Amino acid sequence: MSVALPPGRFTRLVLKVNVFLLIALALGAAFMGLVAYKQGWFVRQSPLHFVTPNALGINKGMPVKLHGFTIGQVSELKLAEGGVDVQLSILSEYLRRIPQGSYARHAREAGVIGTAVIDVVPGQGALPLAEGALIQFQPARGISEIIDDFRRQAMPAFNEVKQAMSQIGRSGEDLTGILAALRREVEQLPATHRAVRQLVEEATKATAELNQQAGSTLAATERVAHGVDRALPALSEKLTASIESIDAAAVQLKKTGEEAQAALRSARPLLDRGETAAREAGDVLSAAKRIWPLSDSFKDAADGMLPIDSFEAQGKGRAR
Amino acid sequence: MSRWLAACLVVLIAACAAPALERGSPAQTRLSEAEARAAALARSGDYAGAARFYGEALRLATSLENPDAIAANAINLSIVNQWLGRDAEARAALAAVLDEPRAGFSERRKTQAELRRAILEAASGNLGAAEVWAGEAERRCAPGCEYAAAILNVRAQLALDAGHAAEAARLAAAARERAQGEAGRGEAANALRTLGRARAAAGEPARALEPLRQALEIDRALGDPRKILADLTELARAADAAGDAQAARGYQERGLAVSRAINDGRGAPETEGLLRR
Repeated sequence: MSVALPPGRFTRLVLKVNVFLLIALALGAAFMGLVAYKQGWFVRQSPLHFVTPNALGINKGMPVKLHGFTIGQVSELKLAEGGVDVQLSILSEYLRRIPQGSYARHAREAGVIGTAVIDVVPGQGALPLAEGALIQFQPARGISEIIDDFRRQAMPAFNEVKQAMSQIGRSGEDLTGILAALRREVEQLPATHRAVRQLVEEATKATAELNQQAGSTLAATERVAHGVDRALPALSEKLTASIESIDAAAVQLKKTGEEAQAALRSARPLLDRGETAAREAGDVLSAAKRIWPLSDSFKDAADGMLPIDSFEAQGKGRAR
Repeated sequence: MSRWLAACLVVLIAACAAPALERGSPAQTRLSEAEARAAALARSGDYAGAARFYGEALRLATSLENPDAIAANAINLSIVNQWLGRDAEARAALAAVLDEPRAGFSERRKTQAELRRAILEAASGNLGAAEVWAGEAERRCAPGCEYAAAILNVRAQLALDAGHAAEAARLAAAARERAQGEAGRGEAANALRTLGRARAAAGEPARALEPLRQALEIDRALGDPRKILADLTELARAADAAGDAQAARGYQERGLAVSRAINDGRGAPETEGLLRR
C-alpha cells in the first residue's frame, strides 16, 4: 500500500538539507571561535619561567599579576634540575612593562588569606625582560615561618617588658623601705622641732653681739670701698676695651665660620662630581687596560699576589 | 675594494674589542673589594688589617667555590701571617690549598702553596719538612716555571743550614741562572747572597765578597731594607774573615745605621754584636 504524498513536499530537499547543515556548521564554528577568543587563543603570549625548589601551592592556570593586574597565567609546571620549572604565559603587550631584575613571588590577594596568585614585582632595570627569560622566585612564607619571624622580632620586646616588670617589683621593695625610714623620721620630728627652736634663740643672741662688732667693721669696710671706688673706673675702662676686642674677634670668627660653611657647601657638589669623575675615569682606564694591544702592557704581573720570596725562608721576613 | 676594506675594519674592530665590563654578583663584588683593601693595607704596612681582609676574601671565595681566588687569598693570608710572626696561622691558611686535593686548583697555585709551605718550614727551622715541600714544589714546577729560582734558593739555604756548603753553592748558582728578567731580580739577589754565604762557609771568604756586593747592589735598587741589612751583615763577616778589618768595619757601621733605621733607633742585636767585636 502506498501513501500519497502532497505534490512538492520533497522538492529541493537536497538544497534544504545543505542549507541546514551549513547553518549548523557556521554556528558550531562561531561557538568554537568564541571559546577560543575567551581562552585568549588569538592573543599573542610570551613565555617567562622560574625555578622553585618547592612548587606547593602553584597550579596550572593560576593568574599572574603585575601591580595587582592580571597579565597572564601559569601555563606549565615540570620537574627540572633543582626543583620545578614553572612556565608563565604573559600577554605580550604587558611584557614590556616587566623590567629586567623583576622577580615573581607567591602571594595571596588578601594577605595571608585569599586567592593564591603569582605576583610579579618589577625590578629596577631600564630594559624590559626578554621572551623566555628566567626570573627569580620568592616562595611564600608559611604560617610557621611567619610565627617564627614574629617570635624572633617580638622576643627582645617581651624580654625588655619582663625586665621592666621585675625592676618595678624591685622598686616596690625599695618603696617599702623608704616608707619605713620616712615613718622613723616623722617620729623624730618633735625632738628636731625643739632643737631648731633652741638654735634660733642662740642665733638671735649671737646676732645682737655681732651688731656691736659690725659697727667697727663697717668703718674699715668703708675705707676699703673708697679705695675700690677710685680704682674701679680705670679697671672698668680696660675691661670694656677687652670685651669689645673679644666681641669683634668673635664676630670675625663667626663670619669666617659662615664663609667656611658656605665654601664647604659650594665645594660639596664639586667633590661629588670629582668623585664621580674619578670613578668613571677608573672604569674607563680599567676598560682601556683590557683592550688589545694595551692589555699586554698593563698585565698585572702578580695577579694580586703578594711576593713569594725565598728570603723569608731565613726567618727574616717578619721585619718587613 | 671599499667593501673589502670595510669588512677588514669590522674584523679588526671585533678582534680588538674588549669584553664588556663584568659587574658580577654582590658576593663577587665584595670579594674584589676585600682583595683590593687587603692589598692596599699590605702595601701600607698594616699587616693585621691585611690579614683580616685576606681572611674575609678567602671566606667569600670559598662561598663562591672559586678555586683560583681561594688559593690566591690563602697564600696571601699565609704570607701576611708569617710577617706578623703567626706561623701556625700561616700554615693553617695554606691548608686550604694543600689539604684539598679535589678542589681543582691549578698546578701553578699548587706550586705556589708548596713553595710557601717550604719557606714557612725553613723559617721555623723544620729543615726536613721544608726539604719535602720544596721537593714537591720542584716536582710540580715544569721547565721554565716562574718559581724555579725561588725553589732552588730555598733548597740552597736548606743545604747551607745543613752544613753542605758545596751543594748550597751549586744550587745557588743554578738559582742565579734561572732568575732572569726584571721579575727575577729579587731571587737573583737571594741567590747571590746564598752563594756568598756558601763560599764563606766553605772557607773562601775572599771569593764570597763579589756575589755579596752584587746582591747588595740589586737589593739597593729594589729598595728592600731587610735584604740590604742582610747583605751588609754578610759582607762584614766575609771581609772580616778575609782579613780586611777596615772594610769589615765600614760594612758593620753601614749595617748598624740600616738596622737602627729599621728598628726605630735600636740596632738589631746581631748587628750590634758584630760591631762590638
